[in-house]
Amino acid sequence: MIYLDNAATTPMDEDVVGRVHESMRDIFANSGTRYRIGLDAKRLIEKSTESIAEYLGIPSTHRILFTSGGTESNNLFIKGLCFPDKKTAFLGLEHPSITESLAFLQQFGNEPFSLLPLQKKGRLDFNSIPILKEKRVKLLCLSHVNNELGTVNDPLQVISALAKESPNTKLFLDGVQAIGKLKLDGDMWKGLAGYSISGHKIHGPKGIGLLIYDSKLVLNPQMHGGKQQFGVRSGTLPLPLIVGLEIAIKHAVARTEQTQKHLQGLCRHLIEGLKKMQERFPELRIRFNPLVDEDETRQFSGMVNFSFPPVEGEVILHHLEAKDIFVGLGSACSAQSREPSKILMGIGLSEEQARCSLRISFSRNNTTDEIDQFLEAFGEAYQALYPTFLQKAEHR
Amino acid sequence: MTERRTVLIRYDEIGLKGRNRKFFEKCLLRNIKRVLSGTDDIDYRSPRGRIFLDIPSSFAPECTARLKTVPGIASFSIGISMAPDFDAISVLGIQWIEPRLESSGNSLKFCVKTRRSEKSFPKTSPEVNFEVGSRIMKQLSSRGLTVNIKEAEYVLEIEIGSSETVVFDNREPGLRGLPVGSSGNVLCLLSGGIDSPVSAFMMACRGCRVHFVFFDNQPFLGRGGYDKVLSLAKKINHFQARGILFVVPFQDIQGAIRDRCNEENRVVLYRRMMYRIAGEIAGRYSFMALVTGESLGQVASQTLENLAAVSCVTSLSVFQPLIGMNKESIISRAKEIGTYEVSIVPQPDCCSVFMPKNPVTRSKIPFLERDEEKIPWKELCDDALAKMEIIKVDDL
Repeated sequence: MIYLDNAATTPMDEDVVGRVHESMRDIFANSGTRYRIGLDAKRLIEKSTESIAEYLGIPSTHRILFTSGGTESNNLFIKGLCFPDKKTAFLGLEHPSITESLAFLQQFGNEPFSLLPLQKKGRLDFNSIPILKEKRVKLLCLSHVNNELGTVNDPLQVISALAKESPNTKLFLDGVQAIGKLKLDGDMWKGLAGYSISGHKIHGPKGIGLLIYDSKLVLNPQMHGGKQQFGVRSGTLPLPLIVGLEIAIKHAVARTEQTQKHLQGLCRHLIEGLKKMQERFPELRIRFNPLVDEDETRQFSGMVNFSFPPVEGEVILHHLEAKDIFVGLGSACSAQSREPSKILMGIGLSEEQARCSLRISFSRNNTTDEIDQFLEAFGEAYQALYPTFLQKAEHR
Repeated sequence: MTERRTVLIRYDEIGLKGRNRKFFEKCLLRNIKRVLSGTDDIDYRSPRGRIFLDIPSSFAPECTARLKTVPGIASFSIGISMAPDFDAISVLGIQWIEPRLESSGNSLKFCVKTRRSEKSFPKTSPEVNFEVGSRIMKQLSSRGLTVNIKEAEYVLEIEIGSSETVVFDNREPGLRGLPVGSSGNVLCLLSGGIDSPVSAFMMACRGCRVHFVFFDNQPFLGRGGYDKVLSLAKKINHFQARGILFVVPFQDIQGAIRDRCNEENRVVLYRRMMYRIAGEIAGRYSFMALVTGESLGQVASQTLENLAAVSCVTSLSVFQPLIGMNKESIISRAKEIGTYEVSIVPQPDCCSVFMPKNPVTRSKIPFLERDEEKIPWKELCDDALAKMEIIKVDDL
């Protein structure tokens, strides 16, 4: 099997599986109880939290909450901080857990300010920052790495631009696609109001994530109960998932530089392979979404999104699946609709270009040999399907 | 001892079936026993014109839910079996009416309705109504209970049979129709859309055991359509059991038609091939008719001309139970039987590349036959049948 959809999820590392399994079996006590085995569980969670803070360089000014994953972290921070009337802004290209949380606030008259008309190729345009001041935006929500395009909003650059041009606007970053693949600069924390992380995107367990946020901020809890985790996020802590997440973060951070280099190599190999393929098949016209950019403060090399009209991405995806190669759709349809998602259309692609695209996302486990196999299978599928789709396109 | 309840099951059209009545009754009783299997503590009796179950009272809510999935039941009531003693019946009636009287603010219109199949019983039905009603009124008229036969808010019913008398105050509607197994086997072309599951359900309610055939479009559409049809077949099978699902790979046939035949005829040609294959399966398994979800004029392939051009390829009867229904009624039926939520999961039943831009609405059979001469349709059908997957739906 060749798995090239690591932005959707990643396989768990063997030692993470081992640690989760072991702690599920051996350490079952509730960390909120007062007897010895409960206190042992509590101590383990505290240790994991400390280790995570150390690995990620999180200063003591920031709190670490365990959540069920990126979606919950984004919901908890945005709704917990901005309900009912704190003014927010976003690019309009974020993950639905951000855009839908903002849409929820909108129901109460708190309309988020969209920077979509002002964005540049999927990133925040720093020239638009003075408008945030003008609009009295209290919180700007962005993806650190966009989940469909791989475009990067570099935290340090955004923080310094905000400090200069709109000092009252705080920054929240969805870091789900970034951690372990881009180097996090410890300096970023002091300028960040909040940051979210998900376990399963970094070879960790599903059902666990982090919300890291400035402890001076007051978040209204979205789940009420036993007042665990400072009363902000109630619920018995899932110790096995927490210790598993700790190991996943440890590996991710320790290997960031190495991973980053590896992903850059894979990315170049894929892009070159696709470009060469264009020379061989003149009918193949690839468009990279957005354009190829090797500056990692602008474009993440672990993800390549490209269009190839007139052949539909989903049909290619199933043809690749038949050869045991798994890739992502360039523009994932949302669960309830078959319309292409707004992200590719948001950066100016036509509906056809959006439909006719794939998203390849790597992990440290992938090899150039796998990319070659993908390229071969993609080329074959494209050639086989091209006449059919051409016929269809000509009818339009 | 556990408290017992008696379920009185009325059946519908079986009552009309002269000499075959025994056979229909047996079918229904068998189907009822099937849905209630797994619960040992049930006694079954079937005196003329009724089926009685004797169940533990704690099983009543579950029993109600299960009986609502059995075609052939007109309605059923859950009550108490007792001697035809007016005093005892009145005591029970008072016990049941009192809480209702309280919750309705001490004002309740009620009546007693008696059905007497045991004609040797010394009192007529109106006399029984009077005897029981007057006893209850004596106790409760001062608390706001009034008799109102036409606009009763509460009806106490008494059914006096030769072997037992049952008292009840509820009537649950059943699915009506005929018991599954009383009319033979049919084969339904199941697509994954909203309509065909409803048509399969309607035939099950006419006493047919419905089997399913799905024409699979992998690898163009992935396994999503296949999984969807599996879960739809399971939902329909819930009303009947022992259905078989035939999955026929259709991609080669569709590819041949697309590449070699007139584009505008494609949809009708696809359907002619589907009917031929379905007809062949029906022949092999002695199924007596085909069932489809067509509704006249709903889409281009469902005009009178096209329906005729398709159904003429098989000598079997083709039933289209939805033919005169509008989309809203079909949708509301799909919601009632629980298939709607599955059907609306986005998953096309045919890849867009196979669809013509302008499908023919009034196809001419000689033109279709000329198109079919261009492809080795017999071989293609045989090949698809050889690769067909056969799934027992009970095992899913």
